[in-house]
Amino acid sequence: MWETFGFEFVNFYLIPGLVLGCIYALGAIGITLTFSILRFANFAHGEVMMIGAYFTWTAMVLSNDLFGVPLHPLVAAAPAVLLAIGLFILVDRYFYKPFRYASTIRVVMASFGMMLIIRSFVQAVWGPNQLTFVPGIAKPNELVKNFTASVDMMILVPNKHFWIIAGTLVIMFALSWLLTKTKIGKGMRAVSDSPELAKVSGIDVEIIVKATWFVGGFCAVAAGVFLAMDLQMLETTMGFRMLLPMFAAAILGGIGRPFGAVIGGLVIGLAEELSVYPWFGNGSLISPGYKTGVAFTIMVVMLVIRPSGLFKGRLF
Amino acid sequence: MRKQIAAGLACYILATTAQADVVIGNPMAVTGPIPDLVAPMVAGVDLAEKHINEQGGMFASGEKFVVARADSQCDPVAAVDAVTKLINVSMVTAIVGPVCSGATIAQAESVSIPAGVVTLSVSASSPAISNMENGTDLVFRSAASDAYQGVALAELAMSKGIKDIAVSYANDDYNAGIAEVFAKSFAAMGGKITSNEAHEPNKASYRAEVATMGSATDNLAVFAYYGSGGITLMRNALEIGAFSTFIGADGMLAQEVIDQIGAENLGSTTFTTSTSDQSSAGFTAWKALADAADIPAAGPFVPNSYDATFMMALAIEKAGSADRSAISGALRSIANAPGETILPGEFAKAKAIIAAGGDIHYVGASGPQDFDENGDVAGYFSANVVKDGAWEGTIID
Repeated sequence: MWETFGFEFVNFYLIPGLVLGCIYALGAIGITLTFSILRFANFAHGEVMMIGAYFTWTAMVLSNDLFGVPLHPLVAAAPAVLLAIGLFILVDRYFYKPFRYASTIRVVMASFGMMLIIRSFVQAVWGPNQLTFVPGIAKPNELVKNFTASVDMMILVPNKHFWIIAGTLVIMFALSWLLTKTKIGKGMRAVSDSPELAKVSGIDVEIIVKATWFVGGFCAVAAGVFLAMDLQMLETTMGFRMLLPMFAAAILGGIGRPFGAVIGGLVIGLAEELSVYPWFGNGSLISPGYKTGVAFTIMVVMLVIRPSGLFKGRLF
Repeated sequence: MRKQIAAGLACYILATTAQADVVIGNPMAVTGPIPDLVAPMVAGVDLAEKHINEQGGMFASGEKFVVARADSQCDPVAAVDAVTKLINVSMVTAIVGPVCSGATIAQAESVSIPAGVVTLSVSASSPAISNMENGTDLVFRSAASDAYQGVALAELAMSKGIKDIAVSYANDDYNAGIAEVFAKSFAAMGGKITSNEAHEPNKASYRAEVATMGSATDNLAVFAYYGSGGITLMRNALEIGAFSTFIGADGMLAQEVIDQIGAENLGSTTFTTSTSDQSSAGFTAWKALADAADIPAAGPFVPNSYDATFMMALAIEKAGSADRSAISGALRSIANAPGETILPGEFAKAKAIIAAGGDIHYVGASGPQDFDENGDVAGYFSANVVKDGAWEGTIID
């Protein structure tokens, strides 16, 4: 087995695919929750990721310049998460709530507008240029490299990828606990299944909506910070570029199924990276210029043969 | 009533611009993947506008020369929108601008050529632009075609002793164009192209791409825009040790690349760009003007931006009116020999010669701007390496 699936495969295709999949997965959780609980495709979701990463960058720079303390991105992300979530609860209150009982297309358009407003705002405040998140290049972790090399299975993983994969796992377990064990999580699932029924059984829908923004926003900011850690830079369309694959992940997993979104994200991230592995011969299987197409091919095939997604999500 | 006032006001505004100003459109990639490169180019355009108005403006009546700016975002769709607005709403006489090749081709094919408006690009260098016109003579550029730069880059690689190289290019007109020329000429010179692959811009990871290509060689020719994947691709290649030597062209030549990847990792990286012969009279005149205005005189495409704007004003002056149909011929007349030599900044002198019925020949900051039958100019290229944390260029002979 290892002859054909050598370590090149693990190091350069499988692990990067997993990292990308983790980022898609976290983003897709928020999309699938807003889609099922608020009942619209939130195009501004990528901008939550983006602005969260910008807030994190600002916290890192401020701490370094004012107090001389360089913060790890994950520490700096804590205040950024709160700011970004607060911002989106305000956006919901003033831009989405007026459309809550109107036809879906209006609130979708409102979210589209919000996406452009936030991106322009960030360009106005931070400028259209790329910002350096962490300079330099990330070399593989020496400890892991030496240890695995000594048993003839050299694994090359930079530290940032350990953080991303571990962070995603922690968030996933926390989310699972929240959705299955707490009252608010059960409320969210109830509203997702049927808002009318949830309302008559005494669930305060507005609180659930706020909780949705909180959970979705938290995951989105985490995805944005992980993406910035991986890219080591920030730019204003970084969230938008991830938006469509994240929609594909949410649809693949089934709308309203957070764990479906996670699986969907991993499948899409892995499929994109593995599709360029030289499975036959020496050249890559498909030209890397077209690997985005792989994500959408999976999504379209899924919509045709099983519209409810892998985990039997909601049909619209 | 309110409608009538609004209509009246609109007529008034339109009428005043039509009478008093000569307006040209300037769709620059202010946002998008290369904002750092474009900012000084925009300053070059504005400086030309300032010089023209300081030296008597347009025509005998001294009408104001106005640059109407729009954002083409280095994106074909955004460029078509921006130029449509400039041509149909701002009623510009001509277009000076689209920065990127894909944007220039898209706006020319679907907007400016059908409208009969001249486009003079400041930096679009794709070989595809040379032969895009069919019977019309409306697309010009003040930057040299990559048909030449690709060859220069191949010669440079050869002179560095590179025998085999992998090519990775972003899937757009500019990058695919120069990659094709490079690969062809490198192979013709006896080099070996181990792989030649497109990559999708704006991806979060290029590890798989560089891993696939890196098994055969240590040298990579990367054709991309630094802001839409170029930096990430180079970073990924360095992280996994797939490549150690990089060559590339204009789209990657930005301080951002050094700031993000680190000068210590770019020891064997060389990028070429279009440049000027710094000993020429045109460049000397331009350098004095640019230094006075605090603009980087030798910045990529900054002299070309000044030249394009200046030539457009000269052409309109030569044509004698802001009529769109007369610009193409007038542009060839002022840019090509024969005629009295006009250097950057000498607008008043040119104006006087034109008024007296004489011929002028503009010799620009970026070199002579004599257009060939395709509206292309010849040019010089420089090889840039990192020195003391910044790019330093030397001209390629």
